[in-house]
Amino acid sequence: MNILIVEDEKNLAAEMAEYLIKENYLCEIALTGQDASEKIAVNLYDFILLDLGLPDYDGLDLLTEAQNLDEKPGIIIITARGALEDKVKGLDLGADDYLAKPFSLVELHARIQAVARRKFNVSNPEIHAGEFKINIQSRRIFHNDHDIELTKKEFDLLLYLILNKNKTLTRIQLYEHIWGNLLDDQYDSNFIDVHIKNLRKKLSAHAPVDWLVTVRGIGYKTEL
Amino acid sequence: MKLRYKLALFNILSKIIFGLLFIIIMPMILERVNTIQTDNELINKREQVIDLIAMWGVDYFLEETRDDAFGSYNILKEEYISLEKVELDQHWNFIEVTQRKVEDEIIDYRVLNYTFLIDGEMFLLEIGKSLSSIRQTEKNITTFTLIFLLAFILISGIMDISFASFLIRPVEKITARLRKTPSPVLYDPKPIKTTTTEFLYLENTLSELMQKINELFQKEKETTANISHELLTPISVLRSKLENLLSQENLSDEAGAKTEEALKTLHRLKIMVKSMLLIARVESHEYLKEDNFLVGEVFHEIQEELLPLAQDKNIDLINEIRTDKKIHHANRALIFTMFYNVVNNAIKFTPDGGNIRIILRTHRENYEILIKDDGPGMNENQLKNLFTRFKNRPAHPRNGTGIGLAISKSIADFHNIKIEVNSHPGKGTEFIFIFSA
Repeated sequence: MNILIVEDEKNLAAEMAEYLIKENYLCEIALTGQDASEKIAVNLYDFILLDLGLPDYDGLDLLTEAQNLDEKPGIIIITARGALEDKVKGLDLGADDYLAKPFSLVELHARIQAVARRKFNVSNPEIHAGEFKINIQSRRIFHNDHDIELTKKEFDLLLYLILNKNKTLTRIQLYEHIWGNLLDDQYDSNFIDVHIKNLRKKLSAHAPVDWLVTVRGIGYKTEL
Repeated sequence: MKLRYKLALFNILSKIIFGLLFIIIMPMILERVNTIQTDNELINKREQVIDLIAMWGVDYFLEETRDDAFGSYNILKEEYISLEKVELDQHWNFIEVTQRKVEDEIIDYRVLNYTFLIDGEMFLLEIGKSLSSIRQTEKNITTFTLIFLLAFILISGIMDISFASFLIRPVEKITARLRKTPSPVLYDPKPIKTTTTEFLYLENTLSELMQKINELFQKEKETTANISHELLTPISVLRSKLENLLSQENLSDEAGAKTEEALKTLHRLKIMVKSMLLIARVESHEYLKEDNFLVGEVFHEIQEELLPLAQDKNIDLINEIRTDKKIHHANRALIFTMFYNVVNNAIKFTPDGGNIRIILRTHRENYEILIKDDGPGMNENQLKNLFTRFKNRPAHPRNGTGIGLAISKSIADFHNIKIEVNSHPGKGTEFIFIFSA
């Protein structure tokens, strides 16, 4: 997929591109609104990651320009302003999602995947993890067609780890994904450990979950 | 005590004192005035009698009687006049109080004794007025005066009080306005209608002060918001760099752990900056208060969020709210955060196997929500700094930045919710959120 990153902070744009290229996306960077506007007019993008706080351009104008294209790209708004009005306005103008700085690159990737699933129907709704089968659309997990009862948070946690398989996710990344931007100052709490513990207990009643590993000092990952 | 009541009280008190004084002094004055009045009357009558004697001669009066004396009473024996011949070597002209026996009845009289010579013979003229009749007059006057006094006190009191309350109405308006102004931002600088210079000055000064405070507040909040906002982009850059570093496959375990540590520290910074941004936004009223929702529902969600954590510590987290009490005109997300932080805090500090209870109590229009734990409690020093940003820093960094309760406090202030905290070392802590109608 072809992604345009519109971000005036060069360092940030470069890091986003580095991560996404590793995930097999094609990335282009526009550091100014002017540049972005020209690029949008000339090239075709599947995705635009749009920083609203551009010094030379109103990000919302750029959003409208992208919306007026024949082939509408998926648009994820990125902003440090975090003001509620920006979010509402952005989503009203047709943005597909919204991320507040400082966001996790893993989360950015997950959002791109989610929008892509909705918009382009690309991904297979069924994923396998060990002896388990997960249906992303119905949000259920099965073992030999036996439906396993998980809480919403446990399911989100598991899915996030599986979608980012073979990649170590830190507790903070997991925490932010599940709890969003709830301003909890327990950044180092055992929230995630408690949920993983419960998750392992529920799953191991049916089949081994040795694919869900603890990475000492960092976090968790799924080896699939 | 309200100024109006004070003025009224003073008014009534001063009038009562004045009235009492009058009641004490009045009989004395009245008696004196009455005596003079009676005496004048007696002297007046004497003149009239003397005139009559001069006209008709003393014999005219004395002829009717066998002995050389004349006496005349009116029917009720209130007054009498007597005239008799006396042997005296001195001239009498005085007024005294004395008793007279009239038809077997002894009556006190005030009597004028007056002697005069006619043809070498001395006559004594007595004109008396009964004391009881004098007293009667006194009593009448007293009653009348008292009624008048009472009426005067009543009418003038009512007038004074109503005028005073009319005069101080602007002050009451100003205080009423201040009372419904929980924060200078909400002060309504409408001019007050009054012709009293002092009140106009007071109102103007207040408005100016409020405006100045608001400007300062606004500036401070803008600075906080700007700084926070400017900090978020560099934090985002650092975070992306560290995350990219962490996702490198050839990273050593040690480097991975260090990177994760750096990410944690950065997250702490992010939480602090975002918290300050949130507080600044709440304090400058950037949030809408348009939601109406069930209190029980909010706590149900909080319980759902925090139950796994409580269960992990074997803490009983009990939501005892059973009523369908609704919070009106509030920001649901903020209220959620406010309660969440406190419950979270309680779980954090309650030891394994403890209890946390959430209780709703109603008092007529008002109600309060209690979050009670049987944790270690706090000493006075800890209580004092409980809501101060970054002051309430827990001993262990695992427990966060200590800004959660400062956020709760700013949200409570924004919604006019009063927070009380009862806590003693070893006896647990209860947070009380007071919602008044």
